Amino acid sequence: MSIPKMPLVALSAPDLRSARRSTVFSSLCLRIVAGLFLSLLANLGLQAQESNPLAGNARAEYAGGVLFRAQCATCHGADAAGIESIDAPDLTRMWRERDYSDQQVFQIIRDGISGTIMPPHDFTETEVWMLVSFLRSIGQSGVQDLPVADADAGAQLFAQQCVECHRAAGTGGVLGPSLNAVLMENSLPEIIAAVRQPDALIRSGYRAVEVETSNGSVAGVLKNEDAFSFQIIDTRQQLRAFRKAEARLTRLEGSLMPAFSESQLGDDELIAILNFIQQANAANQ
Amino acid sequence: MRTISVKESERSVVRFLAAFVLACPALVLAQAGPSYEDILAGFEDPERWLTYSGDYSGKRHSPLTQITRENVDRLRPVWTFQTGTTTRGRGFETTPLVDDGVLYVTGSNNYAWAIDAHSGRSFWQYRRNLPNDLTYGASAPVNRGFGMLGNRLFMVTLDAHLLAFDRRTGEVLWDIELADYQIGYAATLAPLVLDDKVIVGISGGEYATRGFIDAYDPESGERLWRFNTIPGPGEPGSETWPDDPEVLARGGGGTWMNGSFDPELNLVYWGVGNPNPDYFGDQRPGDNLYSNSLVALDADSGELRWHYQFTPHDLNDWDSNHMPVLAEIDWQGEPRQVVMVGNRNGFFYVLDRVSGELLLGTPFTGTTWAREIGADGRPIILNDGSQGCLPDPWGSTNFMPPSFYPELDLFILTARETCATFVPEPPANQPGVANFGGVVYIDGEQGSGALRALDVHTGELVWEFTYPSPTFGGVMTTASGLVFAGDHEGNFMAFDVETGENLWHYQTGSRIWGAAAMTFMLDGQQLVLIPSGTTLTAFALEPLD
Repeated sequence: MSIPKMPLVALSAPDLRSARRSTVFSSLCLRIVAGLFLSLLANLGLQAQESNPLAGNARAEYAGGVLFRAQCATCHGADAAGIESIDAPDLTRMWRERDYSDQQVFQIIRDGISGTIMPPHDFTETEVWMLVSFLRSIGQSGVQDLPVADADAGAQLFAQQCVECHRAAGTGGVLGPSLNAVLMENSLPEIIAAVRQPDALIRSGYRAVEVETSNGSVAGVLKNEDAFSFQIIDTRQQLRAFRKAEARLTRLEGSLMPAFSESQLGDDELIAILNFIQQANAANQ
Repeated sequence: MRTISVKESERSVVRFLAAFVLACPALVLAQAGPSYEDILAGFEDPERWLTYSGDYSGKRHSPLTQITRENVDRLRPVWTFQTGTTTRGRGFETTPLVDDGVLYVTGSNNYAWAIDAHSGRSFWQYRRNLPNDLTYGASAPVNRGFGMLGNRLFMVTLDAHLLAFDRRTGEVLWDIELADYQIGYAATLAPLVLDDKVIVGISGGEYATRGFIDAYDPESGERLWRFNTIPGPGEPGSETWPDDPEVLARGGGGTWMNGSFDPELNLVYWGVGNPNPDYFGDQRPGDNLYSNSLVALDADSGELRWHYQFTPHDLNDWDSNHMPVLAEIDWQGEPRQVVMVGNRNGFFYVLDRVSGELLLGTPFTGTTWAREIGADGRPIILNDGSQGCLPDPWGSTNFMPPSFYPELDLFILTARETCATFVPEPPANQPGVANFGGVVYIDGEQGSGALRALDVHTGELVWEFTYPSPTFGGVMTTASGLVFAGDHEGNFMAFDVETGENLWHYQTGSRIWGAAAMTFMLDGQQLVLIPSGTTLTAFALEPLD
C-alpha cells in the first residue's frame, strides 16, 4: 500500500527531533499493522459500505490511531483535541456536538471540507474506515450510567450554588460555561474534579482577569485580546471592552469559580444536581 | 502569552467582590438589555441601533449630525472585521445591531458574532452546523441580521430554523424548525421583534414551496400565528388560482425580506415574492394572490387587513420582497399615513397604509413593461417581452434597503437598468428541486445602475448618480443632509441629499451587495458601518490636527 506524503510541520528543534522519530516509528508501525490488516481484509473480500464495516474492531481502532498520528495530528493534535490557533476542531467532541454519522465522517476525510484548510485525502477505503473507527474510539462519551438521585433536591442545590454563574434548564448566569451539555462532554470523575479543583483546568474563554481603570477595578473572564484592546464578561455578566492604553489587564491565577470541598457540596449532592440537569435536558428534547 | 501572578489575598478580594455583586439580583436584573419600548423609541438613543432599519418605520434615516456634508471628506476607516466566510455570487448582507458598545452581527453561512464596537474584536463567534444538502439556502447562503429583545438575539438559518441566543455568550437558548429545508425552504432575513413576538418570513419561492409569515413567542419559541401567503382551497384569494390544491400547495410567495411595523395601527407590513414556478405561468392562470403583493397583517392575530398586488400573474420573478417604508407625508394638502415601495417591476408606489388605497404608481426606470397604473390599480402592460427586453429577474431594484429623507420628502433607492429575455419551459414541480420554469438571457452590455432620489408626491426624479453596472447596494440617510450608498464595484460613498453630488468614497475591495449602512454614536464619535465581501468596516471622522 502507498502512504500519502505528509506535510512538514513547523516545530522547535527538540520537538522536531522527537516528531521525526515518532513519524518514522509511526510510519513503520503503520505499514506493518495496516499491511497485515489489509491482507486480512482482502481475503475477506471487503467492499465499501454505508456503515463502517470495521466498527468496534479493536485492531482497526489501533491502526487508525497510528494513521491518525502520522497524517492528521499536524492539524488536529496528537490527542485529536484540535488546535485552536488554526481553527482545527476538537475531534473528540465532534460526535456529540455535530451528530455525525460514520458515513459523514468517511466523506469528510475523503473529500475534505471545501473552503477550509481541511483537504481531500487519497486514503484507501479501508484506511478511511480505520480512521473512523479510531475517532469513534476516542470520542467523548460523556457520563454513562449516572447514578440515580433526587432531581428535585438537585434543582434546589443548583439554585443555591450554581445558578448565578452557570446556565441549566433554561436559567442561570453566563459568567461560567453553560452546563446544558456537561453530561455529554465530560466523564463523572472529570466533573467532580472540576468542582473540587476549578483552578486545575480552565477552559478557553473563562480565564479570570482583573481590570484596573481610572474609575476603579472590575473582575471578569477574558473573552478576547489583541495588542491594543481586550474584551471580557464582567462579574455583572455584561460584555465589556477596554483599550489597553486606558486599562490594566491582570490575569488571575485560577478560576473565578470557588472550589467546593466535599463538606460544602458532597458527591451525592453533585450527582443530584446532575440528575436535575439530565432531567431538564430530557424534558427539553 | 504573558501571565501575571497575583497574590492569593488579592485574588480572594476579587472573588469576594464577584460573589458580592452576584448576590445582588437587582444589579443583575438591571442588565436586562433593550426592551420593546427601547426598540419603539427607535433612534432616540443615539448609541443604539436595535432593529434592522434602526426603527420600525423602515426609513433608515438616522438623526445623527456629527458627520456633515462639510466634513464627510475626513471619513476614515477605524477598524475592519473579517468574517472568514465567503458568499460566492452574493453579498455580506447584514445590518449590525448595537447596544452598550457591542455590535451583534450575523454573517453568511450562519456565522454570527458579538463585536466590540471600539476595536472590532469579537467577544464570541457562533457557527451553525449546517446540513450539506441545503436547497435554496445553498444558492443564497446569506443572512440580514439579528432581532434583539432583552438579553436575547434571534436569527434565522439556511436550513429554515429560528434560533434564540443569549447575547452575552452566543449560546443557543432554543432552536425551532420553520419549515422543511429539504423541500426547498430556507431563511435569510432579520427577524422583526415586537413586544411579545418575533416575526419572520421564509425563502424558497424558486422551489415548489408555499410561503408564510410567522410569529413566535420570544421566551419559548412557540408559534403564535401563521399567515400563508398562498391561500388554501376555498379561502379568499384562491379564486385567483386554478381550482387545484396541488398548485396552491406549491404556489411560492416567499417572504424573505424584512417587514416594517406601525405600532399605532398595530399592523405589520410585509412583501411577498413570486408565484412558483417563476417564469412558466400556464399551470397557474389568474392573478396568483398574494404573490408579488404587499400585505398588511394584524400583529396580534396575523390576519390580513389589506393587500396590494404590484405584479399580477408575475412571469419574471419580480418578487415584491422590499423593505416597506412608513412615513407621514403631506398628500394633496392633507397629512397622510403612507407606505412606500420601490418595486422590482420598475415602479415606485405610495399607498395609504391604513386602507391600502393606491395613491401613486410611477416608473423609476426606463422599463417598457408598463408605463402607468390603470384606474383599477393594475399595471397597463405594454410589453410582455415580445416588444423587446424586460427588467431582468434581479429586478429594477431589489431588497437592498432604500431610504426616506423626511425633510425633503425624497425616496432614495438603487435602480437597475437591465435587459432580459425570458424563455418559459414547463417545470418539474419536484420537491427539493429548483423550479424556475424556464431560462433567462440577460444582455450584460445594456446593464447599468443608478442611485435615484424620487419626489414622493409625484415619483419624479430629483437627481441621480449613475453606476457603470446594475447595483445591489442599499441606502442610508442621516439628518445632516447625507446619503450613504454602495455600488457593485465596491465603493462605499456619501452624497449630498439635495443635489446628489458625490462627496466622498472609499473602495472596500468587494461589491456591496444587499447591505446598507448603519450608524451610531460611540463615546461621542459617530461611527458608520458597512459590510462588504468578507469584511465589516467602521468609519469615523479623522480628528483635526
